[in-house]
Amino acid sequence: MLQCIFLLSDSGEVMLEKQLTGHRVDRSICAWFWDHVISQGDSFKSMPVIASPTHYLFQIVREGITFLACTQVEMPPLMAIEFLCRVADVLSGYLGGLNEDLVKDNFVIVYELLDEMIDNGFPLTTEPNILREMIAPPNIVSKMLSVVTGNSSNMSDTLPGATASCVPWRTTDVKYANNEVYVDLVEEMDAIINRDGVLVKCEIYGEVQVNSLLSGLPDLTLSFANPSILDDVRFHPCVRFRPWESHQILSFVPPDGQFKLMSYRVKKLKSTPIYVKPQLTSNDGTCRISVMVGIRNDPGKTIDSITLQFQLPPCVLSADLTANHGAVDILSNKMCSWSIGRIPKDKAPSLTGTMVLETGLERLHVFPTFQLGFRIMGVALSGLQIDKLDLKNVPSRLYKGFRALTRAGEYEVRS
Amino acid sequence: MAPPAQSQRSASPSQPSGKGEVSDLKSQLRQLAGSRAPGVDDSKRELFKKVISYMTIGVDVSSVFGEMVMCSATSDIVLKKMCYLYVGNYAKVNPDLALLTINFLQRDCKDEDPIIRGLALRSLCSLRVTNLVEYLVGPLGSGLKDNNSYVRMVAVIGVLKLYHISASTCIDADFPLTLKHLMLNDPDTQVVANCLSALQEIWSSEASMSEEASREREALLSKPIVYHLLNRIKEFSEWAQCLLLELVAKYVPSDSNDIFDIMNLLEDRLQHANGAVVLATVKVFLHLTLSMTDVHQQVYERIKAPLLTLVSSGSPEQSYAVLSHLHLLVMRAPFIFASDYKHFYCQYNEPSYVKKLKLEMLTAVANESNTYEIVTELCEYAANVDITIARESIRAVGKIALQQYDVNAIVDRLLQFLEMEKDYVTAEALVLVKDLLRKYPQWSHDCIAVVGSISTQNVQEPKAKAALIWMLGEYSQDMHDAPYILESLIENWDEEHSAEVSTYLFWGYGFIMKISSYKSKIGQFDILNQQYWLIYTVFGQVRLQLLTAVMKCFFKRPPETQNALGAALAAGLADFHQVGFHNVGLQDVHDRALFYYRLLQYNVSVAENVVNPPKQAVSVFADTQSSEIKDRIFDEFNSLSVVYQKPSYMFTDKEHRGPFEFSDELGNVSIGAESADNVVPANRVEANDKDLLLSTSEKEESRGPTHNGSAYSAPLYDSSSASISAANSLSELAISNPTSAGNASSSSLAIDDLLGLGLPATPAAAPAPASAPLPPPLKLNPKAVLDPGTFQQKWRQLGISFSQEFSMSPQGVAALTTPQALLKHMQGHSIHCIASGGQSPNFKFFFFAQKAEESSNYLVECVINTSSAKAQIKIKADDQSTSQAFSDIFQSALSKFTVS
Repeated sequence: MLQCIFLLSDSGEVMLEKQLTGHRVDRSICAWFWDHVISQGDSFKSMPVIASPTHYLFQIVREGITFLACTQVEMPPLMAIEFLCRVADVLSGYLGGLNEDLVKDNFVIVYELLDEMIDNGFPLTTEPNILREMIAPPNIVSKMLSVVTGNSSNMSDTLPGATASCVPWRTTDVKYANNEVYVDLVEEMDAIINRDGVLVKCEIYGEVQVNSLLSGLPDLTLSFANPSILDDVRFHPCVRFRPWESHQILSFVPPDGQFKLMSYRVKKLKSTPIYVKPQLTSNDGTCRISVMVGIRNDPGKTIDSITLQFQLPPCVLSADLTANHGAVDILSNKMCSWSIGRIPKDKAPSLTGTMVLETGLERLHVFPTFQLGFRIMGVALSGLQIDKLDLKNVPSRLYKGFRALTRAGEYEVRS
Repeated sequence: MAPPAQSQRSASPSQPSGKGEVSDLKSQLRQLAGSRAPGVDDSKRELFKKVISYMTIGVDVSSVFGEMVMCSATSDIVLKKMCYLYVGNYAKVNPDLALLTINFLQRDCKDEDPIIRGLALRSLCSLRVTNLVEYLVGPLGSGLKDNNSYVRMVAVIGVLKLYHISASTCIDADFPLTLKHLMLNDPDTQVVANCLSALQEIWSSEASMSEEASREREALLSKPIVYHLLNRIKEFSEWAQCLLLELVAKYVPSDSNDIFDIMNLLEDRLQHANGAVVLATVKVFLHLTLSMTDVHQQVYERIKAPLLTLVSSGSPEQSYAVLSHLHLLVMRAPFIFASDYKHFYCQYNEPSYVKKLKLEMLTAVANESNTYEIVTELCEYAANVDITIARESIRAVGKIALQQYDVNAIVDRLLQFLEMEKDYVTAEALVLVKDLLRKYPQWSHDCIAVVGSISTQNVQEPKAKAALIWMLGEYSQDMHDAPYILESLIENWDEEHSAEVSTYLFWGYGFIMKISSYKSKIGQFDILNQQYWLIYTVFGQVRLQLLTAVMKCFFKRPPETQNALGAALAAGLADFHQVGFHNVGLQDVHDRALFYYRLLQYNVSVAENVVNPPKQAVSVFADTQSSEIKDRIFDEFNSLSVVYQKPSYMFTDKEHRGPFEFSDELGNVSIGAESADNVVPANRVEANDKDLLLSTSEKEESRGPTHNGSAYSAPLYDSSSASISAANSLSELAISNPTSAGNASSSSLAIDDLLGLGLPATPAAAPAPASAPLPPPLKLNPKAVLDPGTFQQKWRQLGISFSQEFSMSPQGVAALTTPQALLKHMQGHSIHCIASGGQSPNFKFFFFAQKAEESSNYLVECVINTSSAKAQIKIKADDQSTSQAFSDIFQSALSKFTVS
């Protein structure tokens, strides 16, 4: 039972206000909220659920825009947060991104969308496909869409047929000149390597993303070569539960366009593709640092976009860091970032340097945590493999594409 | 330059304000209103956009209302939407102008395009102008019968909106029954879901007024309806699924087959992409199986993986909300999550509130098998950049040490912390070592060696200092330097604390500023009080500890300590005259010094017995949150309570309590009493119990001839407006109960209590009448009468004379399906009920009884948990000597309670 939704710009200005129930929420709540955020230092630090003197506030921040919802009644907090996330997703899909100008230029669309997404404080439909049929996206986007998709049908103002159909996530008459379907495995590796260099936790969170550009009402079946490695799975509402239960087969009628078919988790992985070896030695108020990065287990494909970031401890006055490969930057907030790119064949990249500590401090007590970033195209590090994709009710000529990608998620190395 | 706009709300300086521009718009709109030229819609769109954008930034554009309405005659749907938006925004503040719009909205409700019909109907219902409700009934009625589901869906919510504007109009038009029919028969699931949500809300608020509505409300939870809806759950939208799952969580299944049917049906919901659906399903599972211990266990196992996945996927905001719930479950059943401890490892990038939750979970799941890894991990956080987290993690290590039997490794780690030479690490570690020694005195040897080497100069925090001083006193025989360290501390008696005081004054001010910004209406007096209290406790603690430590040391090593003791006692006695800082005399310090002084004068060996008695190791440290509160939070799974870690009655007002909650639930009978922050939770529960009585007394009143509409919206105490609302509700009570002065005065007591100003919640429990002679057999008056006001007054005044927890017979538990069953039974034993509440498995009763001959009363609070088959009673009696006898009667009566 949300009572009001506000969209705030990154300076705290109210860009949009949508009252949902008879209990009108005064705008002054935004001022209170903004003061609260400022008192917390930065919005990242303030909780997603806040109790103000008069209301309970839910907030999410996307691209500098704060989505703020207010309520005075007890309700499932996750529902409010999920809903706000959906609003953000739908808006960014509609406006082709999210920023202050886009929202301000298209506020009428935003109002229209909110009108259909929530009524009397209760979420109605957040399916982008249905919304797209009810509310025409802004001109440029719809033009682009029609070029990209080859979908020439104009966005009619009539009611979506899907609302009454049994497949609510799919629009009815979809027609494509070229029928294509792409399945991507996108994985993120979360890992913690502790001070002794031991891998204490390594887990993969993955998603099966599908881009379906198919005419009619296709019925797809996707199977994996090794579904048993999956630890836990979550499905898009389109996935039929029984075939998965019995044979670990994903059977579904896809929504039109890009969507997240499934997300999964694979835990207790034993190896990581890259090693990071930091060494810090303190002596008489200075600290020598040396960090080596190299390939531990070759995944068989190129690892690129390797970066290493760490926050210099507050007691470090100045640092002089150099690397034998790539570029090192120290930002004003003492964030140090080393972009390595690809690891060269002939040498192992290393970063060395000295840090001057605060006067009076002999040794370093607070040690930096190194955050590693990388990307590997063509490999799903969890080892998950797609076996095959069968399609029914589709034109004979179509293109199927499969891709895989692994990147670093929360990958941290402590020193 | 145009004069500033008459903006109603705060306007930012950058806005394109100005009356001139608004009147400009007005004339342009007027021109377009009559025009039928091609392309006129485009120019209208531009103008409408301008109007709406002014409205959005807070400029008052209500003056163009008439023109907007004139321009609304168009077939352009976007134009219409903008117009509806405008109208919806200004109708409530301009009820006269709103009448202008009725006409065109009603016409649009008959448009052939369903989307326009729906939008017009939605806007019509959103006007929320009381004197226009008559225009709503017709369009709503036809909207509900519309052949397009979109319109029906809008109309159903429209009915709910109408109900909130004018309940009587809605009921008179028989809309609720229409909705019920739609709910059971409509092919469109969104219509069904909206009906469900509207009906829950309408019938819940009607239930207090009409028998029928309360029957209907019960019927929503009946098996046929719940199953009917459940069978269609897969067609429901994800949000509607959440709504339905909320309903199912309240459903009381008839038998275990019923439970398994529902769980089988809902199992795949745990794999839904929407986290809200998953969490709502988890709630259903947990609640259904509360009474089946082993299945409940299995449920925990089953929901573990989905919850952990939810935490690792999604945005930080989502994972925080899930983590809060996971936290609750981990705290309830730590052993189930023991093998998943790695999920609770903190990541560098996480915000500190997430890390804090994770640290608590890590502490909870630690057991024999994983302690080593967890403690290793926690020790890495001690070098964290975030000092609060570093501190928390050291505390966590300490807590684990106190939980475990094998503390060997942990003690080593703690001692390493002491050597880390980081002031806050040392400080936290000292406090922990102290607690550890209180529980495991056998470790004193290892610890003392390290503690002795710490320089007192490096310990500045009062808590740590107090801990260090405690150890110096307690183990002075093992610590070579103890008397001398103490002596040097005493020499610095004054100076070292002045710095401390100013720090704490500063902290205190910060604290108070924070409080006053939240609760602006707390009296100045209160704030000052808090301030003194704060300084007093923090500031006095070191000196008190120092006095005691010197005393202890003196008994162990008299010759070395004698001087120091004299100096300490003198300094302590002087504290009174010095009158401290800001008139804060450290009365406690002075008194303790005086006490020790006189004790030593009287008899040194007695003094030794007092100060240095043989000590037993502490086995369990007091828990911070009572299990009752934890249970209540669990009952409110998937709600804000979990995020705040408080049951909802502690932070929501009755008025704003969710419309879905049914008022006969335990948590709901009582009224939320949000009192000032300094009231300890236990008192809050106490206050809440009192409100339980208060509200029932009011309920009885409202059935009486002095029917008063406000009786049901029992007074709400919001601390920000406590004084005002308290005064109001007090006068309200006084008016509604002119006959019972006792009632009014008792409620005024309650108010005092809630403000945290009044008397202590309950006087200390009277000592048990151990030496009393055997009382004569006790007879009870079968026709005892006691009005709720008196009951409440007595409950407050009397101390607990008897309290016990005992097991109930299985037959008794089985018979306790509703509170009413027990009431009748107890009445047969001359024990009467005055208030009851709750739902399986927790029931709560207030009983009273009277002695046969005299008017001596017994008051009983009885909490029965049917799943654990435990009953807890608290007895208060006018004549305390007979309370044991009464308790026997009560227990024997309860033990005879079986299925009749």
